[in-house]
Amino acid sequence: VDCSTLLYSPGQLNMFFSKRTFVQCLIVSTYTSLVLFLIPWAAMQDSVRGDGKDVADYQSFAMLTQTSLMVVVSAQMFLDTHYWTAINQFFLLGSIAAYLAITFTFYSNGLFFMFTSSFPFIGSARNSLNQPNVWLTMFLTCLLCILPTVAYRFLHMLLHPTITDKVRHKAREEGQPAPAPYRPPPRRVSTRRSSYAFSHSQGYGDLVTSRKFLRLKRRPSLLLLILSNLNWCSGNFILKVATALLKGSLGKSSC
Amino acid sequence: MVKEEQEESPNRPDNTAFTQQRLPAWQPILSASIVIPMFVLIGAAFIGVGVALFIASRDIQLQELDYTGDDSAHPCYKCRSSTEKCTCSMTFSIPNLFKGPVFFYYGLTNYFQNQRKYGASKDDNQLYGDLDYFKDPSSSCDPYTRDSRNIPIVPCGALANSMFNDTFSLSHVVNGTQKIVPLNGKGIAWWTDYNVKFRNPSVTPLINAFNGTKKPTNWPKPIYELDTTDVYNNGFINQDFLVWMRRAALPDFRKLYRRITHDDYVNGLPAGNYTLTIEYNYPVYSFNGRKKVVLSNVSWMGGKNDFLGIAYIVVGSMCVVMSIVMLIVYAKFKFAEDD
Repeated sequence: VDCSTLLYSPGQLNMFFSKRTFVQCLIVSTYTSLVLFLIPWAAMQDSVRGDGKDVADYQSFAMLTQTSLMVVVSAQMFLDTHYWTAINQFFLLGSIAAYLAITFTFYSNGLFFMFTSSFPFIGSARNSLNQPNVWLTMFLTCLLCILPTVAYRFLHMLLHPTITDKVRHKAREEGQPAPAPYRPPPRRVSTRRSSYAFSHSQGYGDLVTSRKFLRLKRRPSLLLLILSNLNWCSGNFILKVATALLKGSLGKSSC
Repeated sequence: MVKEEQEESPNRPDNTAFTQQRLPAWQPILSASIVIPMFVLIGAAFIGVGVALFIASRDIQLQELDYTGDDSAHPCYKCRSSTEKCTCSMTFSIPNLFKGPVFFYYGLTNYFQNQRKYGASKDDNQLYGDLDYFKDPSSSCDPYTRDSRNIPIVPCGALANSMFNDTFSLSHVVNGTQKIVPLNGKGIAWWTDYNVKFRNPSVTPLINAFNGTKKPTNWPKPIYELDTTDVYNNGFINQDFLVWMRRAALPDFRKLYRRITHDDYVNGLPAGNYTLTIEYNYPVYSFNGRKKVVLSNVSWMGGKNDFLGIAYIVVGSMCVVMSIVMLIVYAKFKFAEDD
């Protein structure tokens, strides 16, 4: 890819880890924190359950805020992960599932009976999560935290795409490169040393150029075979063949 | 000479998909064909839900009666700083039929039940009926654990000690006579509180379990006399006590006192004049708090709260506006690129 070397430029310009980015992150975090508290606060003012009982109590409010926080953080992680593989999806979705499992366990009757003073939140989840206004508040909070980030990223990518955005987009269009096929490591032939020996002695240059080894009448095909295969990928094998042939030719003709 | 060369260096990572980061992956990219329709859909859905919420909240009827009595013209002014029993009554009128079932709440303002030390000042084991904690309450209740003679207090702690103890009665003026509106005190606390979290000690009669303990300092009656007429409403499982112990999250809160479900008023409170009689016991003057009575009916979204409906409508319209902006930017940018 032509612009692959340009991928170094964001690092050189300190684009992704600078004071400016830190201040941006701080602003987003402050906004998220304010939304995560103020929306439930305003929604729970003087509100009650559908059957008239309490929903604006301390434990339900805490549960509402902490669940919204969990969802917002998970959504941010989903947005920031650029390649969704099975492993990171397992952990991301697993975190949400684990949070729900732990919450319902902590608020269950069983743990309350065992450790009464440690689990006073019993019943909070059951009594507040069946209220539509709790779910609607949670939904509003989460979307209000996530949608600005999505909109900002989309517009930024349209108006000022960074080099990484361009490369990523291009790579996506071209498709992922096929994974390199698994090739067993090439077996090293033990005659590797022969080229070493070759390169440090006078070699067979004179012999080759004198055309003495050529058995033009008897075996022309072998020469053609050797000459046509003179590529260094299979150089060792060729050298072995050449050595054997030359030895043979030396035996046959006088040097 | 055969030189044995190491085939692979020991630190070389394996050539597997996991170690070489070649796992099959999906790349989510924020493309215009996904983001813009998503915003439009979310905006439309939010506006719809917002309208439904707003209409539901607007149809809820609410009547608030402040009876703190800090104004000298108020009927309860005389009770404001009196220490002995004081009763006052207020009249109010309901213009239209107040649709039932009607819920009767008491409200307090500037009352921080969510303060940490105050709210944690209770002993859950005691409230679960564990007699060992009757003799030896946990230290989280300090300084309301034992009285001056070192006798343990049951129920201990500041949260229980400050229980609301005003009582109300409502009467309807019909043909010049005062007709009492019956108030129903059953089922006002959470089912889990009543059946699981709070239990009376399994001693009959109940009063025997409290031998050697004292009532909280500010209570007029001990816990086993909260409702002597109904054994299922006495002791720790008293509904008013349970409602109070479920501490509020915000400093201005309402707690359910009674429900109006009697046959005569099953359709609601008819229009007319009403009298509220208050036994004014609870002092709020010292911390600038206010007390009020709230009559309200409920809907599927709970009590009257316009915020959620308005917020949904606002966020929905902002989403739609944002999607139009993004569409304009995308169209301009795309055509600029094509040129």
